[in-house]
Amino acid sequence: MAVAATETKSTEPEIGRRRFLGWLSGVGIAGSAVLGSLATFFFIRPRTTYGQPNRFKIGRPEEFPPGSRIAIDPKRVCIVREGNKVAAISTTCTHLGCIVSPSATGFQCPCHGSRFDVDGNVTGGPAPKALAWYAVSLTPSGELEVDKDSEIQTGTYLSV
Amino acid sequence: MSKEPNSIGKSVMELPANIVRSVFRNPLPSSDRGRAATSFTNFFLHIQPVRVSRQALRPSYTMGLGLISFFLFVILTATGVLLMFYYVPSTTQAYERMLDLRSSVAFGVILRNMHRWAAHGMVACVFLHMCRVFFTGSYKPPREFNWVIGVCLFGLTLLSSFTGYLLPWDQLAFWAITVGTSIAGYAPFVGKAIKFILLGDATVGQEALLRFYVLHVVVLPLILTIFVAVHFWRIRKDGGLAKPEAEAAPKRIPVEVEIQEEPAPVMATASAAIVAPARRFTIQGLVRGPLVKVGKLEEDTVFSWPNLLVAELFVLLLTIAGVMLVSFFFNAPLEQPVNVMHPPNPAKAPWYFLGLQEQVSYSAFWGGIGVPGIEVLLLLLIPYIDRGREGVGRWFARQRILANSVFLLFVLVNIYLIVIGTFFRGANWQFVSPF
Repeated sequence: MAVAATETKSTEPEIGRRRFLGWLSGVGIAGSAVLGSLATFFFIRPRTTYGQPNRFKIGRPEEFPPGSRIAIDPKRVCIVREGNKVAAISTTCTHLGCIVSPSATGFQCPCHGSRFDVDGNVTGGPAPKALAWYAVSLTPSGELEVDKDSEIQTGTYLSV
Repeated sequence: MSKEPNSIGKSVMELPANIVRSVFRNPLPSSDRGRAATSFTNFFLHIQPVRVSRQALRPSYTMGLGLISFFLFVILTATGVLLMFYYVPSTTQAYERMLDLRSSVAFGVILRNMHRWAAHGMVACVFLHMCRVFFTGSYKPPREFNWVIGVCLFGLTLLSSFTGYLLPWDQLAFWAITVGTSIAGYAPFVGKAIKFILLGDATVGQEALLRFYVLHVVVLPLILTIFVAVHFWRIRKDGGLAKPEAEAAPKRIPVEVEIQEEPAPVMATASAAIVAPARRFTIQGLVRGPLVKVGKLEEDTVFSWPNLLVAELFVLLLTIAGVMLVSFFFNAPLEQPVNVMHPPNPAKAPWYFLGLQEQVSYSAFWGGIGVPGIEVLLLLLIPYIDRGREGVGRWFARQRILANSVFLLFVLVNIYLIVIGTFFRGANWQFVSPF
C-alpha cells in the first residue's frame, strides 16, 4: 500500500531518446517564453498614438506681438517673442510633469514649488533641469509650427 | 446497500439526504477522526492543516493581520466586480459614471465606499502584517522565501491601489498619473520606455486610462491571486506559522498515526483512504524540517475544525463589519473633474503615498527611484542577511534587539514622512502648520 520508491528499469537506448526529447522540450518552451515576452513587449508598445500630435501649428507670427509670452496650456508650450525672434518653451515641469505657469520672474510650478527664469533655467525647487525649448518653423502657408519631438538648445530663436 | 429492490418511492424519500451526502463527504464531525476527515476531504478546508498550534490561534500573536488582508482582498474583488458593471474606462465618461454611482445606482455609494476604504485598509494591514512577521522573527528559515513573496504582495497591493484611484478620472487621478509616470521616467536606462508603455502615448490621456484599467481589473488581481496562493501554500509546507524553538523541535519520520476506532457508517462509504475505519495509515513520503509534529499533538495543537475555522470566520465578520461601518459614515473622496491646465495645489496622493511624495519633493530620482529601490531591495534581502536562528516566534525577542531596532527605525521614518506629507504640507508643498 505504501508508496515504495520503485525505480523504473529503463533500457539504455530509451534514455538517450528521452534525454533528447527532454532537452528539446526545455529549449522549445524556454524559447517560446522569450519570443512570447518580446512579442508582448512590442505589442503593448504603441506604434501609433491617438493623442495630440507632437507637431502642430499655433497661428501666424502676427498673433504673437513682440515682447509677449503667451502660454498655450492645452499644448503645454509657451510662445515667447522678442522683437522678431520667436521660440517655444515647454510648460511641462521637468520635475514630475506638472504644468508651470508664466510669472513675473519666469515660470512657477504649483506642485512642488520649482521656479524657472524667463529662459526656463532652474532658479529654485526640486526641478533637475531647465524647461525644454522646442523647434519652431515657418510653414509655407506662413504659420508657425512647433515640433515637440525636436528639442533644441536654450536660447535658439526663429527669426520671422 | 440494502437487499430490497430499488423502488422509485424509496429514492424519492432518500433524495434530500443523498444529495447532501454527495455534496458534503462527511457529516458534521462529532469525533476527532471526523474532525480530521472534514479538514481533509473538503476542498475549501483542506487548505488548512488538520491540527493547528495554539500559538497560531492566539490573537495577541498574529493579530489576524494576514487574514484580514486576505479578507479585504476578497471584499475588494467582490465590490470591484460589481462596480465594473457600471464603470466605463473613458476619459469622457468615467467621471460621470462616478456621479451616477451616487445618484442613480442602487447601493452605488456604499459599494464605492467599501471598495475604496477596503483598499486603504488592505495597504495598512499588509504593511502591519509585514511588521508583525518581522518583529516575531517569522522570516527565518525555512520561511525566507515566503517573506520575499510577502514583500512582492505588498508591492502588488500598492500598485493595485495606485492603478485604482486613477480610474474615477478626477483631478487626483490625472495628476497622480502624471506625477507617478514621471517618477517611473526617472528610472535609469528603461525609465522613458516604461513611461511610454504605461501611458501608451506621449501625454496622459485615454490610452493611459485604458491601460491602468486593464492593469487594475485583470493583470494585477491575477498576479496577486497567484502570489497569495503560493504564500498560503508555503505557510502549510513550512509547518504553519513560526513557533518558538522549543515547540518547533523537528520530529523524524517514519510516523505512524493511530486513529482511534469509532463507528462511522457514512464515512465507511467514502473513498478516501483516510476515513476508512479501523485503519492504521502511514504518512507517505519524507518531509524535512519541523513539518510533522506527531507525539506532541495533544499538548500544543488543537483541531482546525472547529477552532481555526471559527477564528477565521470571526475575523471575516469583524473585517466585513469594519469596512461596512466606515463606508456608512465616510464617503470615498472624489475631486473635481479633470482640468489638464490646473493641477490642484497642493496635489496630494492618498496618505500611503505621501511619504513617497515628501521624498520626491527633495529629489525626484532619489526620492522616487533611488531610496525606494534600495528599501525594497533591503526588504527582499532581509532573510538572507539576518541568518540568526534565535528569537523566532516571539514578539520583540531579546536576541533580536538589533534587527528589530533597525526595522522599527525604518517603520518610524516612513510614518514620519507620511505625517509630514499629510499634515505639514500646503500650497506649493510649502511647510505649513496644521495647528
